[in-house]
Amino acid sequence: MRILRRRFLVGAAGLAAAALSIAAFAQGKEPIKIGAVLSLTGPGAGLGQGERTGILLAEKAINSKGGVRGRPVKVIIEDDGSKPDNAKSKAENLIFNEKVKAIVGGSLTASTGAIAAITNGQGVPQLALTGLGPPIELTYKSVFHLLPPQALNAKAMLEYATKGLKAKKVGVLHDSGYGQLVMNALKAQSDAYGMEYVAIEKFEVGATDVSTQAAKVRAANPDVVFVIATNPIPFRNARQMRITQPIVSAIGSSSYQYVSGMGEFANDIVFPEFLVPEYPMPHQAEFVNLHRITYNVLPKNYEAAGWDAIHVIAKALETTGADASGEVIAQALRTPHRGVLASYNFGATDMTGIELSSYVYSKLVGGKFVRLPFITR
Amino acid sequence: MALGAVAFIVWLAVPAIASRSIVDVLVFTALYAIAGLGVSFLLGHCGIVTLAQSVFYGVGAYSAAYCTTQLGWAAPAGFLAGMGISAILAAVVGWPVLRLSGYFLALATLALGIIGHVLFLEWDWLTGGTLGIGGIPHLELFGLMLNTPQRFYYLAWLVLAIVLWLHANLLNSRTGVAMRALRDAPTAAAALGVDNHALKAKVFVLSAVLGSLAGSLFAHYVSFVSADSFGVDRAISFLLLAVLGGARTIIGPVLGALFVTVMPHALSTLGDIHALLFAAGLVVAVIFLPDGLAGLLQRALGRREQA
Repeated sequence: MRILRRRFLVGAAGLAAAALSIAAFAQGKEPIKIGAVLSLTGPGAGLGQGERTGILLAEKAINSKGGVRGRPVKVIIEDDGSKPDNAKSKAENLIFNEKVKAIVGGSLTASTGAIAAITNGQGVPQLALTGLGPPIELTYKSVFHLLPPQALNAKAMLEYATKGLKAKKVGVLHDSGYGQLVMNALKAQSDAYGMEYVAIEKFEVGATDVSTQAAKVRAANPDVVFVIATNPIPFRNARQMRITQPIVSAIGSSSYQYVSGMGEFANDIVFPEFLVPEYPMPHQAEFVNLHRITYNVLPKNYEAAGWDAIHVIAKALETTGADASGEVIAQALRTPHRGVLASYNFGATDMTGIELSSYVYSKLVGGKFVRLPFITR
Repeated sequence: MALGAVAFIVWLAVPAIASRSIVDVLVFTALYAIAGLGVSFLLGHCGIVTLAQSVFYGVGAYSAAYCTTQLGWAAPAGFLAGMGISAILAAVVGWPVLRLSGYFLALATLALGIIGHVLFLEWDWLTGGTLGIGGIPHLELFGLMLNTPQRFYYLAWLVLAIVLWLHANLLNSRTGVAMRALRDAPTAAAALGVDNHALKAKVFVLSAVLGSLAGSLFAHYVSFVSADSFGVDRAISFLLLAVLGGARTIIGPVLGALFVTVMPHALSTLGDIHALLFAAGLVVAVIFLPDGLAGLLQRALGRREQA
């Protein structure tokens, strides 16, 4: 037994030494640069900060395993301040001064569009941490999306409302930015699900009180209420105005920061999303553990998107080599990829290929996320 | 004279010697200076604070985007449409609003800025809303595609130079004298036959046209526009650059635009604290430079330009 243990320790030490030597070998070589343009300050900071931790964790994980073809990966992160014009300038710097092999970002749809105008012209692969943008993006050859299009987000919400809750009448509280995008997609699919919108109330992004709109939704007596916003206030107001029906939201509202802002009202709210770290899927467990150990907090969807973006690029570079042209790397990206967030197929027409079956459903119970058994097919 | 020649040579050489990202920032300097000049005009020479310039900047940008991508018009038509719409809008809205003065006028223009931004988001059939409009064609001049910062730099700064020259001419004209009289002694100006309200409205229209011109240039340069670029914070940036540069001078808006574009770029290497440092820099600049950056420059050059 003692000999067995000694052999095990020797073996483990050998493996550790090998891993260290691989990492050291990788560190000695010229790094492969990947750029990231994120919204680390401004209104999009809630997304960008999480994406950054996922990206940095992925960089560390890849380099600890020897990098890409023996070369370490170096991610250069720029802050666009949540402004598309800044995002363009930052992307210019990364592509032409830093000579990065690919760009990750932006965090916001507008930033993604501004960056895509350059990456498309230069043929530099771009992995956007947003869903599909304006229709022109469908003609771009090097832009891919880590998050689903709003049409799919809307479908995931309708699936739960109609099949999970058996609802027929829905009331909606949404903001004029992200909420409007999802609402447009919801309207387009309402007939297919036989859903009737009995109240649709819109408010401005960043509104500090939407009680009036919430009261109107309550008065319509819906079976379920959709709240789609990028801040916690509408959720609070909905409950304060005694909306007792179940609330279904969208992935963009699922964050610990928002839950904290909801306070005592963080209850009976369902999110169609991809990562419930309290109950991770088997393929998510490694990432969740690593994130918890490194940062002492649990990750959410945007952290996972950042992690996936770097791994997807690293995998493509492993295939093509770092000296391949942007077009060749983009071609290598157009293959199926099993990520932590979802299973992607960047060769799909929506440039993401995420299927409805990748969604999981979580519910806030007393301020805690609980994964629901509900699944879509 | 010699200093001017040196400055001209440096300006000419910048795209050849500076990195692409620096040239890109300097393109934005020129665009912001054109729009900010309109604000400076109103503030420095008529005493009107406006926070609506982002609306006209947006109108110019969306006109360029919509006319070229949806209607298939040539780029100059988009520029003209934007400037025309902005001029009409400024005249229609400005005529009643400019009867106000002081804080009330500033608040009224702020309301215009907010309404404009909301409409840019709401009218998604026209503006693309949150998604924006992509695929705006680059400008082409004498067969040369202006699709790099280096190429666009010369156009943007040339337009700025022309606008500055026109600005200087206007200030030295009878209208310029009337504007200063309106700012310093409106009652006396009215007694001398100046139609104060009509003059304010005309300058407001002129300011809107400059904002629109800058917006159209922006759209063709970035190739993408969305409502995020035309919020109230952008209007504040335009006002800021006018105040910071020195609203009563011709060169002030250019110096102010340099500050609000180059400083954040330079500070961004310092991490997430960069926004805080920029704000601190602004406070210091406003406290220690009451005449703006132009005043500092004038003192450095040992002469004072008459306001």
